[in-house]
Amino acid sequence: MGHGRGAEAEAADGEEPALQPCAAKKVKLELKERKEKKQKVDEDEIQKMQILVSSFSEEQLNRYEMYRRSAFPKAAIKRLIQSITGTSVSQNVVIAMSGISKVFVGEVVEEALDVCEKWGELPPLQPKHMREAVRRLKSRGQIPNSKYKKIIFH
Amino acid sequence: MADEEEDVPFEEDAEDAGGGLDGGQGKRKRLFSKELRCMMYGFGDDQNPYTESVDILEDLVIEFITEMTHKAMSIGRQGRVQVEDIVFLIRKDPRKFARVKDLLTMNEELKRARKAFDEANYGS
Repeated sequence: MGHGRGAEAEAADGEEPALQPCAAKKVKLELKERKEKKQKVDEDEIQKMQILVSSFSEEQLNRYEMYRRSAFPKAAIKRLIQSITGTSVSQNVVIAMSGISKVFVGEVVEEALDVCEKWGELPPLQPKHMREAVRRLKSRGQIPNSKYKKIIFH
Repeated sequence: MADEEEDVPFEEDAEDAGGGLDGGQGKRKRLFSKELRCMMYGFGDDQNPYTESVDILEDLVIEFITEMTHKAMSIGRQGRVQVEDIVFLIRKDPRKFARVKDLLTMNEELKRARKAFDEANYGS
């Protein structure tokens, strides 16, 4: 074992890297530029958000705070997942699942608000809005459903 | 508010008439009513959402998580749910994909920051 490793190591040391030095430098520079550009775009975004938030009414601020802060209780999510798998899951799994679940809620609520508005009605959202929203999201493939096809009455 | 007769807010009605939804899950104890109310308000609903709507959403979320969990168990390491599986499953959903990436990145940064903080304190 020792012999083989020694020979390989020697051979590797003698080789040039696959890219020529100046080509490698170019790639490195490009990556750096792209990263800087992305940072600038992010900074612009942050600035714009700050301007927007600073112009919010009190009601809008309240809603925005709820939008940012609302979250599923980690313990309950963990319990739910573990009750399905029967094994334990990592903290990252709970974080990921809670996160995408919140996005999911947002998609349903926003769709339901569209439905509500389209029907010339007002919040609070009613079950019929929620159900219609789900129907629409399902037809766009945005709701996972690996069960048998159910017949849905319109 | 006009036509509400058709959907008079009684829990049983909401579930029975819920064609595409699992009406049978209504008996389970509610897991995240409070949090869902805040979320719905944050996403644009009234400050006081209807309980029936909150319940429908809760059932939807539980169904969503159940589906994702089962799918994740069937790929990658069988019988287990790993982050990589979740990321793989939502790769085609740009919003969810971006969100998961962000959350995991932020979590890593927080962990690093906490570790550095602890080490600094331990040193002094």
